[in-house]
Amino acid sequence: MKVEIVEWHAFSTWHWDIPGTGYEDELCGICRVSFDGTCPNCKYPGDGCPIVLGLGCSHNFHLHCIMKWLEQDTSKGLCPMCRQIFLFKEGTFGAEDGKKLQRLVDGHKATRERGPNESDQEFEAFDGQQVE
Amino acid sequence: MPRTPAGPHPFQRRLLKEYQGLVKANLPGITMVQHADTMSEYIFRIQVQHNPLYPENDRYYLSVRITREYPVDSPQVQFIKYEELDDEEASEAKIPIHPHIYSNGHICLNLLGDDWTPACSVESVLLSVQSLLGTNQVLERPPDNDSYVRHAPLNPKLTKFTYHDDDV
Repeated sequence: MKVEIVEWHAFSTWHWDIPGTGYEDELCGICRVSFDGTCPNCKYPGDGCPIVLGLGCSHNFHLHCIMKWLEQDTSKGLCPMCRQIFLFKEGTFGAEDGKKLQRLVDGHKATRERGPNESDQEFEAFDGQQVE
Repeated sequence: MPRTPAGPHPFQRRLLKEYQGLVKANLPGITMVQHADTMSEYIFRIQVQHNPLYPENDRYYLSVRITREYPVDSPQVQFIKYEELDDEEASEAKIPIHPHIYSNGHICLNLLGDDWTPACSVESVLLSVQSLLGTNQVLERPPDNDSYVRHAPLNPKLTKFTYHDDDV
């Protein structure tokens, strides 16, 4: 018997390769959408809406989601899941995004090193004696 | 209920998932009595189990409003005096008496302020508030209740609470 292939269509699927996790069911802890999907603002998954792997802690997020969190002062630069200082692994996103993320992480580090912030001190001074 | 303006919430999918999760979880002592179509405003009835300070047929109503910045920002949560229209057994709605709950319904709870993270959820807030009541041992208002209530903003999120009491 001779079979002649007249036409064929190739297709492929993809997913993020997240080492050491059961990636398939894993959701971004911030938007609760799978890593193979997108953050709420993106249309196209994958490189268009990359993920960030935690370094030190094992928690992962959509890049855009974790940036939104780290942009808040109230985040204190901590991982939303385990409240350790959030650090990340390079390599799942572009250099530009990496710089932006690093700036946020560094900003929180600087705040931590400065110690208790000024507004707290003001509050305490006010509590004690009022200056004329 | 008033609607939140400006279209669907940016994290609408998460809100929907949380709503479905709440319905499915059917938390004991916690009943959803109202929710907005947008899943961004809720009223829950909370009953406290196993604490003689709060009789089980006392009902407390908790309002939860999801802000536009949720989940990087905590929801606006407070007790309210709410009357259920079609519930004849409903006793008079009260703000529960608790050392961390002001008589205007505002709650001093670290989870609702400094310690909020996007990993928290409406469900974790409900459980925390319920356990706040469940573990309470003194029927008292906060020591600064009168002065706080006199000057408090309408929105408890605008108050900068200090959390100094880890025991209650």
